[in-house]
Amino acid sequence: MDLVASLDGVGVSLGGRPVLRGITLTLTSGEVIGISGANGSGKTTLIRTLATLQRPSDGNGAILGVDIRASDLVNVRKQIGLIGHTPALVPELSLRENLTHVARLAGLDEARVGPVLDVVGLDEASDRRADVASFGMKRRIEVAHLLLRKPQLLLLDEAASGLDSSATDLIDALIATTTDRGGATIMVSHDRSYLDAKCQRTMVLATGQLEVVN
Amino acid sequence: MSRIRVLFGLAALLMAVGLWLALNAPPDALQGEYSRLINIHVPSLWLAFLAFGVTALGSMMWLIRKRPRWDRLAAASVEVGVLFTGIGLVTGMIWGHAVWGIAWDWGDPRLASTAVMFFVYLGYMALRGAIDDPVTRARRSAILGVVAFVQVPLVYFSVNLFRTLHPTQSVRPDGSTMPDEMLIAMLVNVVAFTVLYIALMAARIDVAIAEEGADSEQALAGDAVKPPKISEVEDV
Amino acid sequence: MTFWSQALEIARVDLSVERRVGETMRVVLPFAVVSLLVFPIALGLQVSVVGEIGPAVFWALGVLFGMQVALRQSAADSPERRDLQALVGVDPAARFVGRTLSGAVLTFAFLMALFIAMVVFYGPSLPPGSVPALFLSSSLFAIGLTELGTLAGEITAGIRNRTALASLIVAPLALPLVIGASQTLEALVRGESILPWVLLMIANGLALAVLGVALAKPLEEAAR
Repeated sequence: MDLVASLDGVGVSLGGRPVLRGITLTLTSGEVIGISGANGSGKTTLIRTLATLQRPSDGNGAILGVDIRASDLVNVRKQIGLIGHTPALVPELSLRENLTHVARLAGLDEARVGPVLDVVGLDEASDRRADVASFGMKRRIEVAHLLLRKPQLLLLDEAASGLDSSATDLIDALIATTTDRGGATIMVSHDRSYLDAKCQRTMVLATGQLEVVN
Repeated sequence: MSRIRVLFGLAALLMAVGLWLALNAPPDALQGEYSRLINIHVPSLWLAFLAFGVTALGSMMWLIRKRPRWDRLAAASVEVGVLFTGIGLVTGMIWGHAVWGIAWDWGDPRLASTAVMFFVYLGYMALRGAIDDPVTRARRSAILGVVAFVQVPLVYFSVNLFRTLHPTQSVRPDGSTMPDEMLIAMLVNVVAFTVLYIALMAARIDVAIAEEGADSEQALAGDAVKPPKISEVEDV
Repeated sequence: MTFWSQALEIARVDLSVERRVGETMRVVLPFAVVSLLVFPIALGLQVSVVGEIGPAVFWALGVLFGMQVALRQSAADSPERRDLQALVGVDPAARFVGRTLSGAVLTFAFLMALFIAMVVFYGPSLPPGSVPALFLSSSLFAIGLTELGTLAGEITAGIRNRTALASLIVAPLALPLVIGASQTLEALVRGESILPWVLLMIANGLALAVLGVALAKPLEEAAR
């Protein structure tokens, strides 16, 4: 059982205010864990900290063996996949161009863009500009990014919120392929029942700290 | 606190001596009583350069060490620096108005480049004021502090190059040798202003530490949100 | 190799976004040309004087509006896009170089169009050799100004009054570039060597490039 992510006594402050305190968490290969909490409880901050996009103010942590406080995080970041609240697309580019752009930046094989678009069901809609695409289409492009990149640590921040059942199934499949290649997933949602259905373990984030509930 | 009082006391004492010397030195033959302005003008601008140099040092050290004290140093110093650049500019303009006949002489490159420097650090202060998160603020202002440190000397250099290569008609009395009494008075004032700088810095840094202390005692961000009073919705 | 392919990819996407949005050529340029018309009217100038101030007004507007090109909204990445770039392993220095490349191309094109408008409206008498000197000074000016603009754009990312604040930061720092560029043409008029001014702009461009690359990592973190 390889350790994918670990946090030990991590605290995070934003705008000078503490948001998270004393977060301790371990995630091993193949695991899928869920974290729930009320609005404003720090779920997104926790996800961003795990994604190495937010530096902690206290405590230690490692993602895939790399210290989260390290100055060079380029290589470990390539192993992290994140779906956040707002899809990260260039509005003026088409969906296909967005995907190709990411493939080029990541140095991945552009030939896989077509098949991946096909898998997420957007091969016919792929010439639509991102700023006129629906939310569900943008979410599928984000899944497509991750199918291209194959990250070892998958972080889902309310990724299934507002999606129809076929798109939710797509996210389930993304989680399954991550698990199959020895990766791990952390998903965050305010919806406890959704997490209980999808995850092996669930925790609640309240008053800046994690409590194990299941 | 007492340390700061001692520093301010020392600065006041030295400035009193400096003022006495400045007022008792013989006036310049050409400039008359206005030559005494040099006792404020030169120390102010010396202090401004010192202050911005310290800002650059604080910025660089923050980028390397990421310790809050380097950010506090840079931030405190820039405020003192902008204040004294302002004093230096105004005294220079008063002097220019009296001696050259115009407050703003485009023939003097230092005037334009000092004004530019003033605005560069005014921008730095505006940037600090626009960012709430202390770490983001420290990082972004440290970057600007380093960029300004490289670019401001280039501004001075380019304006000088501009004046030396560009033909100019303006003829001014150049700094004929200063009498000894005047020089001594000015040097005492430079020392006095430097002590004042240290006192102001110490006080400003204490204020910054107090501000941060107040921040860190805050409750968790999410705790301020209370559950809505559903039963009262209809009555509101 | 990854460095340059990332930098070029960022520049390519920037330019194709600009082609679709047209912020520089369809908004900033017309605004700058209108400003060109305002000066002689406000000053109530004679025809001969207008010709003399033409190049100076061109560089003044060049720096003010060139800044708006460097700080254009269509090149301001959303926080989500910054996160994505970080996660796919974009080298922060490649990002800076890519941004500078696309911004410099746009600023150069903008300056050329503005110069033509200035020649039409002001009718300045240009000494021989003006066109190659203008190409040289405009390209160096565009590079330097975009480097400054990229730096300022990153440290003001996400701030509400970003454009105003970044302009306040860039304008005074751009003075060596304005002096270098405007004096190149002036030197030609006076029949002097343009070399000191060209060297000044090259030195400044290099200093800013070194700063941009050296500070790329804190810049990238700062913008998030």
